[in-house]
Amino acid sequence: MIEYEYLKPKNLEEVFSYLKSFGEKATLIAGGTDVMVNIRNKKIAPEALISLRNLEELAYIKKGEDAYHIGALTTHRMLETSSLVARELSALHDGASQVGSVQIRNVATIGGNICNAAPSADTAGPLLALDAAVVLKGPNGSRKVPLTEFFTGPSQTVRAHDEVAVEFEIPLRMGEFGSAYHKHARRKAMDLPILGVAVSLEMEGETVKDARIALSVAAPTPIRAVKAEEFLRGKKGEEEVFEEAGKIAAEEASPRDSLRGKAWYRKEIIATFVPKMAFRAMERLKNR
Amino acid sequence: MSEYLFVGKDIPRTAEVDKVTGRAVYINDLKRPGMLYGKIKYSEYAHARIRHIDTSKAKRLPGVKAVITGYDIPDVRVGFLKDQTVLKKDKVRQFRDEVAAVAAISPEIAEEACDLIKVEYEELPGVFDPFEAMKEDAPLIHEVDARGRPIRTNVLPLPWKFEAGDIEAGRAKSAYVVEDKVQTTWVNQCCMGTSGCIAEFDMNNNLTLYNQTNVIFWDKRRILEYFAQIGLKNSKVRVVNPIVGGSFGTKLDTDIYEFICIQLALITRKPVKIIFTREEEFFALPPRQPAVFEIEQGCDKEGRLTFRRATAVLDNGAYTSWGATTPSVMMMPISSLYRVPNVYFEAKCVYTNNIYCQAMRGYGNPQATFAVETSMDRLAEEAGIDPAEFRLINTNKPGDETPMRLKITSCGLEECIRGVKEKLGWDKKRGKRNGRGVGMASLIHVAGGARVYKSDGHGMIIKVDEHGHVDVMSGGTDQGQGSPTALAQIIAEALGFRPDDINLVFGDTAFGLWDAGTHASRHTFIAGNAALKACAKVKRQILELAVEKMPKIIQQQIKRKKRKDPDFKEPDLDFDLISDPKNLDIKNRTVFCVKDPENPYFRMDVSRILREALDVGTGESKVVVAEAFYDPPTEMLDREFKGNLSCTYAFGTTGVEVEVDEKTGEVKILQLYAAHDVGKAINPTLIKGQIYGAGYMGVGYGLTEEMKLEKGRVMNPNFLDYKMLTAKDAIPVYPMIVETDEKDGPFGAKGIGEPGLVPTAPAIANAVYDAVGVRITDLPITPEKVLKALKEKRQGK
Amino acid sequence: MKKITVSFTLNGDPVTAEVPATWNLLKTLREYFELMGSKEGCGVGECGACTVIIDGKAVNSCIFPTAEVEGKNVVTVEGLASKDGTLHPLQKAFLENNGVQCGFCTSGMLMSAKALLDENPDPTEEDIRTSLSGNLCRCTGYVQIVESVQKAAEMMKNQS
Repeated sequence: MIEYEYLKPKNLEEVFSYLKSFGEKATLIAGGTDVMVNIRNKKIAPEALISLRNLEELAYIKKGEDAYHIGALTTHRMLETSSLVARELSALHDGASQVGSVQIRNVATIGGNICNAAPSADTAGPLLALDAAVVLKGPNGSRKVPLTEFFTGPSQTVRAHDEVAVEFEIPLRMGEFGSAYHKHARRKAMDLPILGVAVSLEMEGETVKDARIALSVAAPTPIRAVKAEEFLRGKKGEEEVFEEAGKIAAEEASPRDSLRGKAWYRKEIIATFVPKMAFRAMERLKNR
Repeated sequence: MSEYLFVGKDIPRTAEVDKVTGRAVYINDLKRPGMLYGKIKYSEYAHARIRHIDTSKAKRLPGVKAVITGYDIPDVRVGFLKDQTVLKKDKVRQFRDEVAAVAAISPEIAEEACDLIKVEYEELPGVFDPFEAMKEDAPLIHEVDARGRPIRTNVLPLPWKFEAGDIEAGRAKSAYVVEDKVQTTWVNQCCMGTSGCIAEFDMNNNLTLYNQTNVIFWDKRRILEYFAQIGLKNSKVRVVNPIVGGSFGTKLDTDIYEFICIQLALITRKPVKIIFTREEEFFALPPRQPAVFEIEQGCDKEGRLTFRRATAVLDNGAYTSWGATTPSVMMMPISSLYRVPNVYFEAKCVYTNNIYCQAMRGYGNPQATFAVETSMDRLAEEAGIDPAEFRLINTNKPGDETPMRLKITSCGLEECIRGVKEKLGWDKKRGKRNGRGVGMASLIHVAGGARVYKSDGHGMIIKVDEHGHVDVMSGGTDQGQGSPTALAQIIAEALGFRPDDINLVFGDTAFGLWDAGTHASRHTFIAGNAALKACAKVKRQILELAVEKMPKIIQQQIKRKKRKDPDFKEPDLDFDLISDPKNLDIKNRTVFCVKDPENPYFRMDVSRILREALDVGTGESKVVVAEAFYDPPTEMLDREFKGNLSCTYAFGTTGVEVEVDEKTGEVKILQLYAAHDVGKAINPTLIKGQIYGAGYMGVGYGLTEEMKLEKGRVMNPNFLDYKMLTAKDAIPVYPMIVETDEKDGPFGAKGIGEPGLVPTAPAIANAVYDAVGVRITDLPITPEKVLKALKEKRQGK
Repeated sequence: MKKITVSFTLNGDPVTAEVPATWNLLKTLREYFELMGSKEGCGVGECGACTVIIDGKAVNSCIFPTAEVEGKNVVTVEGLASKDGTLHPLQKAFLENNGVQCGFCTSGMLMSAKALLDENPDPTEEDIRTSLSGNLCRCTGYVQIVESVQKAAEMMKNQS
């Protein structure tokens, strides 16, 4: 039978204290949209849930002098309704606003989305394309991990069991990029992507100065298509170039056949949507 | 014909206010005192022998009141072919096989007890494809039949074979012939309210079953048959509906969980509730019947159909429910959709270790219409005739008798085809092959009852009390289509009352007269006709009482007025005018004199008259009540599956414009016109609701929905991976109501519940072909299939 | 079995519940408070039949831990009508425009719609469909539900 204690620490110190006493027997819970489902489906059976919800100070979207700071407890709904995110971190807006449904977005947090580390997480691709880093706090201090090093496998990250993700940091210069994220799904809501494509571009006139391409559900973890990015640098932002980048990105990906989609189809989608998102990123930059 | 007051109007369903205030009681909400919760333990293999079942730990769990296996209950076989027992004890034949069940004081404890039951299996090779299952060396799913005789094949002994005319003669007359193979897969009904029931015995062994079933009287009969075999010969059964959270075909059989619930209630002597989780709703409930069709059609040079030959193989799954009878309905579009003189149809149902199937909206018609309408488009192309024109050349017409001996009375098919063609801009848009295309498909379905059982009747009791309130006790059930409102309109119109005066009560075998069930889109037609019969009797009673009582009431009124005002001048009234019921009528619940309608003395509320009739003070007290049992003038299908089993037939056409993304294979529906011949729209808003809902379900069937089975296991038993459309997946559906005034229907009405879904998928398939020149012949038409076909086409395959 | 005590506002009234720590809010509403209007359609936040409003936001109560409702303002379908029984414009509109068929999804639809209209009294059709995208319906095809919400928005604008 499902049985656990529900703990509501008032601050991070209390969180660490609970994590220490329960060890692997406790699970952190924020919005709960993953944890509650996993418990009900018997995927996990913790003896205690340590709720992060009361740490309201960890829900914020700030543009600082050095970087954009997004608290880990920021809900997808907050990201969806933030004009700052829509304007300057557009890919993240795209990803966050398409997660599940309004009900899910009202409680689910970006920290949960990333730490749960499903290959299909809709904020993962955008954050990768925005050079994000995760700030992890533990009982012995904190560390900053670039998102490119954060995921180690499906639902696996470098976060230690006694660490809590507290913030996502995006370098200020990424605000100079135009970005876009495409979630390829069978339905327009309540769906996971079969394939996610996030592109961010820094332009110098008509030329691509710098590029990031992030793909989700295209490999065991969300990945950057670095060869395609390299190809784009210094080239003109036009159809032939973007299409070629799409083809290269598709080759870099290693999607698999799964219940939700076939590998060959996923590669087609990468090749089709990298150029589309590149154009959108470019357009958004122009219109700013 | 004078204007109706209520029929044809958009009367709102204000009577159903409980549904918007959270007060409607569904089976999920119903509680009985002392109630226990039942849970079922399912098989862990698709095909295996059961070696041992250990329930000892489960029995010892505190809070558990009963644990049963096939060894604890009598070995009674159920289902229409009697090919399964309630709990399986020798062999499991599918993943959802019910191996044990628990009743406990909470659902959590019941679930934990199920986990504690240990079953030892010896796995057997499984077969998951009907063609494989038909092979000589295929493992046998069933070794003996209901009578214990050995079975040697997985092919069911069902007689699905239909022949009319002469196929070879038809073939000889053909200038063009096409052959196609199409297939459809399992889809789930996805009722938002999950399945469940509460079984409760009294101390005399009489059962009350609170159940969402649409066939309360068939449920009762099947349960009594079961009782007879388990030693409960004198028990009575009452089946009661709570508010039903959707049906779409799931509630026409007596499911295994119902029998399990009854056994648990019998053993514990307490009310027991079983409610399915959503996962169980996907993996433990019979879905729509899949089918593989081979279809051949021919036409002459003028485009007139010469013959149609089809065969189907149905994956019957491990046991049998109504899915195995869908061929009897498939015969309808195959023999009777469009005029076709020579027809042959044969269907084989084959046991496999997959999930078995039941009814789902359309009951075989959507599957067969996908075959017929794919073939029609192909034949039209072969003959060089526009597909809409081709359908018009062969359209059914009023007065036709089809090869199945269906007598077509009203038929608006031609109007539907033309209407859809015009709205779509068919001539301008067709044939461009530029990524956008149009396609259409039509349907024929029963719409005036369906004599699948020997009685297709509906019983109704109508009483009017001394307050003028009408209580209607109907033997039917409600699934949410709005029949309480539609029937109230019919009854109000017939009686001369108002819809607000009418209270409909249904869904209880204790006070309802018999009804064959709310299925086959029959309810409004059959119940409506029963209502008209009963209303005629009720109205006559009221008017006879009016003739009897009105003079006295009027004279009392005059006396009172004189007493109040001595100068009051007595009116000159001709009481002869109200001496005959033929001279009276009722409107707005007021009786009035036809020859002197404005005379205030001759106008009286029905309640005044009925109170006078009741409160007599002598032994002459009277009430108003009448019953009617309406069984339509139809016949059963004979041994050749021919016969006019319905009073009238529904026709309709769905036309779709699509845009296909040639890079992703995604099909976007730009517009969907659904034209339906409904006879008469009793309530246009309710009808549109059916067309929208069925249209969406049809789009899902055509584009996104499929249950994914891998070696018999349902891999997507949840709403995340079973792609039912959301509100954001807006499909522009435009209903077009065509009225042909069916003379045998109540106020001219015909059924609409299922037709809305039937032609949607083939219309989409035909439109995709028009858009990009690829024809997808297996549903759903997923982007992968389209993209793959496009690539193959580009490569010249 | 660990129990928790939570105090919060439920449909305008201050309440306290003592329930097992594992109970989600849906179970607490249905079993402890016997408010059966919110339904379990899937139990995993995928269908919206359990939608309630917490501090103005639509939430799937089947995956919302009861423990987290402390101090919050919860509104369920039972709290839609006024205390004197006057139906909320949304309730009226759903009945008048055939936005209800079997009714199982209706409670959740009403709450998602209310959360929307309380925040945005003048929604476009797109806004309405987005706010209802987490509420599945099998009967209606959503068309008359969207129309009902539009009519309700009109009614509410005319009232104020």
